Amino acid sequence: MIQVLNVSKTYHHGQQEIYALNDISLKIEKSDFLSIMGPSGSGKSTLLNLIGGLDQPSNGQIFIDGQPIHGISDDQLTLIRRKRVGFIFQFFNLLPILNAVENVSLPLLLDGVPFSRIREKAIHLLESVGLGSRTEHRPEQLSGGEMQRVAIARALITDPAVILADEPTGNLDSHISEEILGLLKNLNQTGQTIVLVTHDSKAASFGKRIIRLKDGSITEDISLSESRA
Amino acid sequence: MNLWNLLRHITMKHFRLRKAQIFMAAAGICLGVTSIVSFGVVNKSILFSFEDSFNRVTGKAKLQITAAQSGFPESLLEKVQEIRGVEYAVPVIETDGMLVSGKERSIMILGVDVLVDTKIREYSLSGDSVDVPDPLLFLAKSDSILVTKTMADREGFIIDQKIQVQTVEGIKTLCIRGILNPEGPAKAMGGNLAIMDIYAAQMAFGKNGRIDRIDVSPRQGENLETVRQAILNVLPNGYMVDTPAGRTRQVEDMISRFQNDLNLVSYLAIFAGMYLIYNAVSISVVNRRREIGILRALGCLRRNIMLLFLGETLVISIIASSIGVGLGLLLANYLVGTFGKVISETYMRTSVSGIHITWLYPILGFASGIIASLMAALFPARASSLISPVSAIRSVPYTEESFFTARRLNLGGVFCLVLSGAIFAMYNFISDSHLTNMILLPIAQLMIAIGISLFIPAFLKWFVTIFNRFFSSMFGSAGRIAGLNLRKNLTRNAVAVSAVFFGIAVFVASAGYTHSVKESVLKWLDSMIIGDIVISSGHPGSSANAHSIPMPVDLSQQLKKVPGVLSVEPWRRVFLQYKGRRVLVSAASLARYSKYSSADTKQVVKNNKIRLLPDKDNVVVSEPFAAIFKVKKGDQITLPTPAGPVVFSVAGIVVDYTSDSGVIAMDINTYQRHWGDMLCNSFFLLVKPGAKVNDVRDEIQRQFGSDRKLYVLSALEFKNEIRKIMDDIFIFNYALNVITLTIACLGIIVALLASVLERTREIGTLRAIGMLRRQIYGVVVLESILMGLAGGILGSLAGMFAGWVNLEGFFIPNYGSAARYYLPFSAILWALFLSAGLSALAGMIPAQKAAKTNIVEALSYD
Repeated sequence: MIQVLNVSKTYHHGQQEIYALNDISLKIEKSDFLSIMGPSGSGKSTLLNLIGGLDQPSNGQIFIDGQPIHGISDDQLTLIRRKRVGFIFQFFNLLPILNAVENVSLPLLLDGVPFSRIREKAIHLLESVGLGSRTEHRPEQLSGGEMQRVAIARALITDPAVILADEPTGNLDSHISEEILGLLKNLNQTGQTIVLVTHDSKAASFGKRIIRLKDGSITEDISLSESRA
Repeated sequence: MNLWNLLRHITMKHFRLRKAQIFMAAAGICLGVTSIVSFGVVNKSILFSFEDSFNRVTGKAKLQITAAQSGFPESLLEKVQEIRGVEYAVPVIETDGMLVSGKERSIMILGVDVLVDTKIREYSLSGDSVDVPDPLLFLAKSDSILVTKTMADREGFIIDQKIQVQTVEGIKTLCIRGILNPEGPAKAMGGNLAIMDIYAAQMAFGKNGRIDRIDVSPRQGENLETVRQAILNVLPNGYMVDTPAGRTRQVEDMISRFQNDLNLVSYLAIFAGMYLIYNAVSISVVNRRREIGILRALGCLRRNIMLLFLGETLVISIIASSIGVGLGLLLANYLVGTFGKVISETYMRTSVSGIHITWLYPILGFASGIIASLMAALFPARASSLISPVSAIRSVPYTEESFFTARRLNLGGVFCLVLSGAIFAMYNFISDSHLTNMILLPIAQLMIAIGISLFIPAFLKWFVTIFNRFFSSMFGSAGRIAGLNLRKNLTRNAVAVSAVFFGIAVFVASAGYTHSVKESVLKWLDSMIIGDIVISSGHPGSSANAHSIPMPVDLSQQLKKVPGVLSVEPWRRVFLQYKGRRVLVSAASLARYSKYSSADTKQVVKNNKIRLLPDKDNVVVSEPFAAIFKVKKGDQITLPTPAGPVVFSVAGIVVDYTSDSGVIAMDINTYQRHWGDMLCNSFFLLVKPGAKVNDVRDEIQRQFGSDRKLYVLSALEFKNEIRKIMDDIFIFNYALNVITLTIACLGIIVALLASVLERTREIGTLRAIGMLRRQIYGVVVLESILMGLAGGILGSLAGMFAGWVNLEGFFIPNYGSAARYYLPFSAILWALFLSAGLSALAGMIPAQKAAKTNIVEALSYD
């Protein structure tokens, strides 16, 4: 379970203080699929970065499974990212020098696990996202949709507590986007917690719950399962 | 473990993809290690060769008695032989001769008492010499000479062959009575050695009644120090009684300044290598920001990012240092002959046939390469760990997000420069030359380089402002966009500018130091060489006398009779022992010295005209002599003469570069009066007005050429010979200039290539909004030129400063000689030309590529 309590994030632009997030509180249950929506500059990526431990809040508290990720050292935060969080980015962020299976293995390689012990799991994950025949290809040899599938497999390799997806379909065509979102939905159905940031309402509808942000504050929180029911 | 995974899966892939950059970084360190290993091994080999030759020539002697090079009375031999603890004391003449035929090789001639010398040295004659088993036969014929088998094989000599040898008495015909097997003394000096009877050697080399050395073997069980003291007690002051090991130490001390010079070259080379590593890692960090961001986002610790870059550097430095050690040994093998020649010409005779490898220098070079690389990589590696994952993975432009704000950079620059000044000010208060030369000087230079480099962003800002205001309009829209682009990314561009800066700074510093030392010596030489013709009987420029055979002073009377000769002045150069060190006595006519010498020498001589009259015991000493022995004007020094110690007054201190061991200059009459030595090494001739120098020279050769081998040179030719020796001495400094310039050139190209490639997306945007291909080309090339020029200008300034520090902080304390700093104008012009020209070249290839790039591809470039 992820808990966000009274979190604010401010930036300084000269003398001026700008609120990217303003006193946000939020609870994300295990196995939830939360879609965060909002216009550009509303603070959705900032919120995702804070939940993922890529950034620290100016005020407030954030917990993952009761473990605080605010006010801790950079090393502790990094280890939480490594073991508890899986990231999927809009621009994939794969290492161009590594092939698909190596990119998928990267989080465990960082944890010191020998490649020989990861390889099988990485290949299995690539097969599960439909890339069993592309394991040795480097990112430049893959299409956008394939690169995002590799990123999904990479996010799953550590069996994370949560997958954070920041506009994962923002760089893909509609057909491929649906495939990727379908993959995420399937993952969620196996019990994986997912937080998706998007400005596309169609993409957001793949989740179980949607929150809307505007000027750093939550303006709407809808449970889709309830509304569908 | 996770670091190992990073190195294995990421580093190795980068190595394969960035071969050129890796090669560049490795090449810099490799060159540095190569120079440390090669110079170290060559130095060690020369010392080993000295030691080996000493030991072979010394034989069983445990002590050696020596004095001035002109020799001492043989009557002292009996006194030594009478000492109770002495078993054998044998006389030796050790002098130089020259084979007149063939390649006119210089050889060492040992004059020994063949009846007793075998008690000290063992001679083994080859089978061809069995017809001369009787030493008395050898004695009976004064033209007898024994040569080594090495020499006989090389020159094609056989028993009973008559050979011509240049001696003090002129060309002498000697008969080979035996050939020595390559054992014992016959292996000394690479076999360039011949044995004569001591009496014959005395006659031939102008040492009647004198000997050069007494080799002593104490009785068994006698304490060596007791015997040494007993010998010292019977000898007049000023004689040296030392063990062979002690004499080797003297040699080590004598050439230590030369070695320091080479060490400086080595450290500058490794410094240049450090800059390449710094540059390569900095560029790598900038280019791999996104990768670092991804790794950080996926859970890589800050310290592991830093260790990743340090680990990459470690791998590169291990490979580069290993290759450097191998190349160093190869280079040492190649250079050892040239070094031996330089040492022979400027210090004392040596014959180095090959390298002598000890583990010290390969290990030192290897360790220096690795430590220097890691130190150089530390700053950029630390900067890599501070990169924020959010900004890196979002591809936001590279901004000054680090600790190093413009104000802090400027303050850091000022701090480094002040620290450098403080270290420099401390210089005169520290007497430990190793501490000053090996530690403080490199630190002071490093501080200058780092200090000035910290001003690069500020300087670049100023430079671009000037360009924008006054010059950009001259280049149209390309000029305006180039100016804006440069200003926009000051930190990123500063990395490329610093690449140019460091390379140019090391090049200009090295060139300035070499140029200043050389110009100082040549200007001194111009004031010293007075005369139209210089005559010597051996290598004309040899200050160590190793290749110069003295001539009788009387020859001047005959020379004066040659038509067209106005005056003839003899010059004697001879080494003697003063307070346990070898110093050079330079004796010439002071009247002439006063009349034609340089202004400062003239002033000293003029002020002390009366006291310096030939019948007074006055001398002037060189600056190194005054520095080494802490002597001031008006002090008294006691010099050993064959008749016993004589007190001389120091009438002045003068600039004299003849020998860095120290020079004592005196009137030649004073020298002859005390040393009774009627020889000289050179004659300086003035020709009568109207007479042609070449005609006089030809006439001298015609009249004297058949009696002795003479080098008759015009003053200009003589100076050119000296220039050749100086070029040999500075060959390693020139090599360093080439190395640093090469590194600078490669650094410029790689840094700017990386800078332009990184901006592919930006270039695509410019094309998309309507910029013409030729405009893109112009912008990229112009930016490259501007960055190159900024680095070149700042690098030249830093180089001038660092070169001056080298001269003031290293040369002057090390050699004790005054030298003036001369700006290396040609090197600076080259530096500016190359920094602008190469930057233009470096920009052209990527500019062409950028201009041709598909706009869509460029915009999606990741």
